[in-house]
Amino acid sequence: MASAVGVTRTSFFLDKLQSLSGIVPIGAYLAEHFFENSYALVSPDKYNYIASKLETVPWRIPLEFLLIWLPILFHGCYGLYIWWNGKANAIGHPWMTNWLYVLQRWTGIIVFAFIGYHVWTVRFLSHGKTTYADIAHAMANPWIVAIYAIGILAASFHLGNGLWNFSCKWGFAVTPESQRAAGWFGACVAIVFAVIGLAIIAGFRFHWTPFDTYL
Amino acid sequence: MPDKTVIVRIKRRQRPDEPARWEEFELRYRPHMNVITCLRDIAERPVTRDGRESSPASYEANCLEEVCGACAMLINGEPRQACSALVDNLEQPICLEPLSKFPLVRDLVVDRSKMFEDLKRTHCWIPIDGTYDLGEGPRMSPATQETGYPLARCMSCGNCLEICPKVNEHTQFVGAAIISQVRLFNMHPTGKLHSAERLEALMGPGGIQDCDNSQNCVKVCPKGIPLTESIAAMNGQVIRHALKTWFTGHD
Ligand code: HEM
Ligand code: SF4
Ligand code: FES
Repeated sequence: MASAVGVTRTSFFLDKLQSLSGIVPIGAYLAEHFFENSYALVSPDKYNYIASKLETVPWRIPLEFLLIWLPILFHGCYGLYIWWNGKANAIGHPWMTNWLYVLQRWTGIIVFAFIGYHVWTVRFLSHGKTTYADIAHAMANPWIVAIYAIGILAASFHLGNGLWNFSCKWGFAVTPESQRAAGWFGACVAIVFAVIGLAIIAGFRFHWTPFDTYL
Repeated sequence: MPDKTVIVRIKRRQRPDEPARWEEFELRYRPHMNVITCLRDIAERPVTRDGRESSPASYEANCLEEVCGACAMLINGEPRQACSALVDNLEQPICLEPLSKFPLVRDLVVDRSKMFEDLKRTHCWIPIDGTYDLGEGPRMSPATQETGYPLARCMSCGNCLEICPKVNEHTQFVGAAIISQVRLFNMHPTGKLHSAERLEALMGPGGIQDCDNSQNCVKVCPKGIPLTESIAAMNGQVIRHALKTWFTGHD
């Protein structure tokens, strides 16, 4: 792409696409994923019912490919390229935002590795037919609980801090006050995701079904 | 040596391609000394702490009142102006190094022409010369003046580039100062006429998209320029411009 003054805009376009992809579809999918998995907190039967419904969504493979795999692969790989293009200096200059810059990168790679493990085990090894019992069985192993907890905490942080980055990088939060508010909003989102994610782990591990009854 | 002294360590290179060496000087303390006074004292008597005859360390300075930008260097690891770095407020030994993100000329002198080139590339001026007298420009509202004045204090010292993780040999990133200058010139009633050119330059290689929001720049700017606000404001302008021209073309 060439602009009126003859400069290429390829990196502008790809950078903005990477930034946007973190919110939609990846962040939106993460919200949907946490919500669907919260059915584990209702009952094993309900969870299996919802899971089997998702397994037979029409156009499943192209939808998964376009809305989940491709965006995550692009966001992650281009994210690594962005990482490589920067030289972090938070050790010598330990301001909070400078540490957030570093953490955004490290949580990104942790999430990438976790997604690889997660997809391999619950999607490919089981041919996409994982049941409540399968996950509950895996969660009996404390190491697997730890891996999931780390993955969930890293993804929650990465999304919350990413929302703050996004609001600055798209010019939604301009003044210091609005940037601070966006930061708090991101922190709240991170906390909500972390709490829901950890509750789901607890549900599987302890067969805890707090939403079992109609209040 | 008198009772009270100041110890200054300087990272020195005669030429950019030679290995750096550290030299330590011990100077007589006087009240209100700053780093430039130290460098002048060294130039007057360039003898190292261990008694070796050396040479005056090269450095740049003009205004001596933190308005020209020339004397930026790393002082105890922080990019800042030597003329406003008071010895009384610094831990000793005072370590002086050249800025690391610009090509070295000699000792503490670096070549910051990248910033000037980028100001030109992003059209950071207001063309008012013509073949005839263009007359008076439009008036600027007091509100715009108030937003613009702090931005106009930029002295191209380069501290904000030095501290930025994304300014390095992997990128051509223009850095916070230039983005903030584009905001200033786009704000000006006459400068606005060329805003499209500036925004398009900011979308090019090394443009605003390279900013990853570490927000270090605003913490080191000696002039207190609201750089992160400028960057976010320009992100908005650039994205609106990109969408508008892509969908509906230029006016
Ligand atoms: C669940 C998966 C993920 C989610 C929800 C997510 C979300 C986000 C969001 C919202 C942003 C902010 C965008 C912006 O800066 O404007 C972001 C940035 C980033 N992400 Fe991810 N991401 C995920 C996975 C990954 C992975 C696997 C990597 C691989 C290393 C990664 C690397 C990065 C990097 C380096 C940035 C910083 C970009 C910048 O500061 O400009 N992300 N991510
Ligand atoms: S914005 Fe501040 S730190 Fe950056 S060059 Fe201008 S005066 Fe120096
Ligand atoms: S000599 Fe001008 S800023 Fe220090």
